[in-house]
Amino acid sequence: MNEQPVDREAMLDLVAAYALGVLPAAEAAPVAAFILADDGARREYNELRATANLVGTIAVEPVDSTRSTRMKERLMAQVRTDAIAGARTRTPAAASTVRSSAVWGTALAAAAAVVFALVSVIQNFTLSSELAEAQRKTAVLAAEASSARQSEESAQRMLADVSAADAQRFPVVYGTVIRRGSHVYLAMTSLPPIPRGRVYEAWTLAKGAKAVAASVTFTPSGNGLTLVPLPEDADHLAAIALTVEPEGGSKVPTTKPAFVQPLS
Amino acid sequence: MERVRTRDVDAFEQLYDGYHRLVFGIALRMTGDATMAEDITQSVFLKLWSAPDAFRDGNFSAWLSRVTRNRVLDLLRSRANKPAGEIPADLPAELSLDDDVFARIDAERVRLALAALSDDQRTPIELGFFGGITHEEIARRTGIPLGTIKTRIRTGLRRMRETLVEAVSQ
Repeated sequence: MNEQPVDREAMLDLVAAYALGVLPAAEAAPVAAFILADDGARREYNELRATANLVGTIAVEPVDSTRSTRMKERLMAQVRTDAIAGARTRTPAAASTVRSSAVWGTALAAAAAVVFALVSVIQNFTLSSELAEAQRKTAVLAAEASSARQSEESAQRMLADVSAADAQRFPVVYGTVIRRGSHVYLAMTSLPPIPRGRVYEAWTLAKGAKAVAASVTFTPSGNGLTLVPLPEDADHLAAIALTVEPEGGSKVPTTKPAFVQPLS
Repeated sequence: MERVRTRDVDAFEQLYDGYHRLVFGIALRMTGDATMAEDITQSVFLKLWSAPDAFRDGNFSAWLSRVTRNRVLDLLRSRANKPAGEIPADLPAELSLDDDVFARIDAERVRLALAALSDDQRTPIELGFFGGITHEEIARRTGIPLGTIKTRIRTGLRRMRETLVEAVSQ
């Protein structure tokens, strides 16, 4: 008996658990890698995730009127304050940027509350040193919250990109190059361990360029699974290559590429 | 959502009126705490207001459900009232193209599709989504072997999907 089908069925069971959202983070990573590497698993994941998301829709719960009124007043006060503050400070172009920026979540609520307080202060008093200090603290808090939130959302965006049905996938030795829109990733599923003092280095060839440019260096995780986002805009790239280089990276490739993959 | 993207406060208020019971309901089921559910509802809608482009297309209720679940899991992690290994990983809330198939499915259809499952299949799915726990924790709480739980989740979701696809195509 060949054991491969049994292993695959077990992995597909895990894909379903992943789609429902019940895998711990430690188990989720290899399942995500399996989804990346296997067309059937990716299809199964997309179908079951769409189904699993619907489960939540049955949870509509009546909210008592006192609570409902309180919740709505609290929310709408913050939203109106934000809308007013936004209208005062944003140019149309800036407004578009803000809409598409990372979400601040509760930090935004806190920041909006402080902005509301600041507006009240402005209406009643001239700018004071206290106000300046409050503004400074608000900016620091907002920046910290934004940074943390952006990291988390960046990771989520990566997973969404590489598992998306409309992503382009280019099989290469040791894994797949994945492109979605302007984003490009190296999804390596079987990279060999690398000797001490050496790193993998990605190279990009810009459209119309005659020489490659250094992109990022990385070392694979213990099981050979590595997902590397490249910082370059995929729309401007003609090809991607991967070499092994001395630690710290090289300015030009010094070893034979593991692969050279055109992005078209 | 188109109007919310243009910073239309009235449109956002209508959106809130239409969906706050869903967000509150999920948060309440997951946390069992009405005050916490209220805060989560606030947080989810502020997120929606600040980043309306996060929703692209498909079934809005389903997307909002996933966003809410992720927010609750964030909160559980930050409060550290459970060991990290017992809290499942977030899933991207972004929709796949496949969600368009279910764009018109309403909660009643979903309820019927869940009701059509056997208890053996329905319990791990509901416990998994609303319990905010891992498959191992589901196995522990139900006293059913982990391998069986995983298989039941898969067969249950697959059967639920078939029922819903059939409902859409009628």
